[in-house]
Amino acid sequence: MKEIFAWKSISCALLCFFAINETAHAEPYLAVRQGLKCSTCHMAASGGGQRTTYGSAFAQTELPARTLDMGQLWTGDIGRYFAVGGDIRGGWNRLDVAGRTSISDTEFEEFLAYIQIKPLPNYLTLYVDAKLRPDDPEIREQYARLTLPNGRWSIQGGEFFLPYGLRIQDDEAFVRQVSGINFNTPDVGWQVNYEEGSWSGQLAVTRGTAGGPEIDSGKQYSLRISHVETRWRVGGSLNINDARIGDRQMQNLIAGLRTGPVVWLAEIDYIIDDGSPLGKRKSWASYIEANYNFRKGQNLRTSLEWFDPDNHVSEDEQTRLSIVWEYTPIQFLQARFGYRDYSGIPQNPAQNREQVFAELHVFF
Amino acid sequence: MRLLIIILLGLALGGCSAGSGEGLDVSGRPLSEGGDVPLAATLASIQANVFNPSCIVCHSGASAPLGLRLDAASSFTALVGVSSSQDSSFQLVVPGNPDASYLIKKLEGTTAEGEQMPLGGPPVLPATIDFVRQWITDGAAPDSGGPANQPPVVVSLTPAPDSVSTDFPSQLAAGFDLDVDASSVNDLTFTLRRSGGDGQFNNGNDVVIAPAAVALSPTNARLAVMDLTGVAAVEDRYRITLSGSGANVILGVSGLTLDGEFVGGFPSGDGTQGGDFVAEFEVQGLQASLDSIQANIFTPSCAFSGCHSGPPGPNLPAGMDLTSADASFASLVGVASIQMPMTMRVANGNADGSYLIQKLEGTAAAGSRMPLGGPFLDQVTIDVIRAWIDSGAAR
Repeated sequence: MKEIFAWKSISCALLCFFAINETAHAEPYLAVRQGLKCSTCHMAASGGGQRTTYGSAFAQTELPARTLDMGQLWTGDIGRYFAVGGDIRGGWNRLDVAGRTSISDTEFEEFLAYIQIKPLPNYLTLYVDAKLRPDDPEIREQYARLTLPNGRWSIQGGEFFLPYGLRIQDDEAFVRQVSGINFNTPDVGWQVNYEEGSWSGQLAVTRGTAGGPEIDSGKQYSLRISHVETRWRVGGSLNINDARIGDRQMQNLIAGLRTGPVVWLAEIDYIIDDGSPLGKRKSWASYIEANYNFRKGQNLRTSLEWFDPDNHVSEDEQTRLSIVWEYTPIQFLQARFGYRDYSGIPQNPAQNREQVFAELHVFF
Repeated sequence: MRLLIIILLGLALGGCSAGSGEGLDVSGRPLSEGGDVPLAATLASIQANVFNPSCIVCHSGASAPLGLRLDAASSFTALVGVSSSQDSSFQLVVPGNPDASYLIKKLEGTTAEGEQMPLGGPPVLPATIDFVRQWITDGAAPDSGGPANQPPVVVSLTPAPDSVSTDFPSQLAAGFDLDVDASSVNDLTFTLRRSGGDGQFNNGNDVVIAPAAVALSPTNARLAVMDLTGVAAVEDRYRITLSGSGANVILGVSGLTLDGEFVGGFPSGDGTQGGDFVAEFEVQGLQASLDSIQANIFTPSCAFSGCHSGPPGPNLPAGMDLTSADASFASLVGVASIQMPMTMRVANGNADGSYLIQKLEGTAAAGSRMPLGGPFLDQVTIDVIRAWIDSGAAR
């Protein structure tokens, strides 16, 4: 009886909350639309990972065009001490490269499973993010997090994705690919998180090997700070990696803005590599995204990206344009249809390609 | 506000266009840096046509994924003879064996872990991969030449330093970072001896090995090979010496002497020419000890990624961690089976009552015979494990 009451209380509270807020659909722009911090909906303080109870409920009530009545909301919690979640993605993809035969394939992209063990609920959490399929099982994140009683400070140790920039799903976006900080490159170390009012900050000290074994005494320092308001947010990140092979310093500015039904996201990165065999290089990468939530359960996203690999070399820039329609017919299920156009120097066919894709995403 | 947004977007769309590529090579670098290189089965060509245009946008600098750097100065030492960080049962490039090279598997998209490379980009054309395959088949030689004012250093050794094997190697191979003077590679500068059975050297009973031949590889001026054909396979500890001091030394083509000091990690050297490179390996038959069983059975047959590869935990198969002797001891000895909780995986002094033996012999009441899918261990090998258990299953 007590459990049923708790379920209904959570459901009612969330539905009441959503009733006085605009609808929102997925990823960082979702947080901008709602004026919420990344950690409101996800395990990681800078976004990504298992959905929180709030995030799970949101994905069932506000994300879909229609919510099937299943009696109660799925929060991921199994009792007081455990929580689970998952993402399953698969789809079809067609790639056209200038001068080559088109490539089409259908693939089971990934099955991600999230597990939380909470020996001291709200204070101590053990977390695992594992990719179970289609390849051999692979742990992506595994860490323990201790939250202080005041809720403002927490510290985590283990293997995790680094706090840097916008935590967008698309690892192939220039800002994620070129920075090397994405969902393919967890690192091992410690991270301190701070949440106070409109401010959110994370500082991580890690190996700096992007998932590889420790090879030197140098460490990587990642700092991300953001200020979140109801209609807008600004922030920035700094990453310094002191490695035997050379040093890298990256810095970026991030911003989000809600203008009526459109949510904007932007990031600009400036990256300096020094001391590596390639010599000193300075590069720029930028990302701007517009999301138009034209109907409940449907979002149209357009993004434009730009990358300058070496600001001392002219005419080597690359661009990437994406148009994606996201349709979430019911809870736990989302379809995405998209087109991407890559443009680069004409002598490199791989930099000039078009991609059309359809993806089915099951999440819980 | 909307007008401002539209203006900003218009500026962004108009101002951020792709480069014309004028004056650049296929990698987007100025032609003055060397320009395009015809596709061929050489590292220089593969670097220019594959790694530079498709890989180093990520795999370079301090934050290269998995620490793997593929810029021209790093790619050879990062690839050849180096274990994959993603799947340590593979080397990234195995000279002479493209099918066993993880690099080829990643380019062709046949690895058990991770994505096909280049990530998100169009796959490298099969015809181009064939050149990579051919380079590996030819011995995965580094580029020819090198700086004239630097001494050569040792960058790889097969068998690996401090490795333990049941098989006596048919040859030894030492790789250098620079081209080496072929006349300086001989049985006086590249030597092998064994300890005489006591595992100690320089105590009067060392046995000098007389190889069939010692020479620089005819296809790779940075690879010295000792042919051990006909040498008796004796279980013992062996010491390899590449001479960088004394009357007979290995010389670079520049005339500078090998910088050989070796303290466990490649490359060798202390920054100045001179100094012997000394490393050891061991040939050891299967023995009734956990270290030997680990090296000869658990590691090659059980501890594959995705099988008994950890981390330890309650779930099979990874949870029964057999990746090291310490992990195997913790996972096996005195630990109840998950499949048959009343039976210990290894019961001290009782091989017949040990679930490990039942699984290896195919007599367990639950699950499949191990190694899953075979080939299964022969009874002689299993009897060695039995002997270890019956003698107390010591760490």
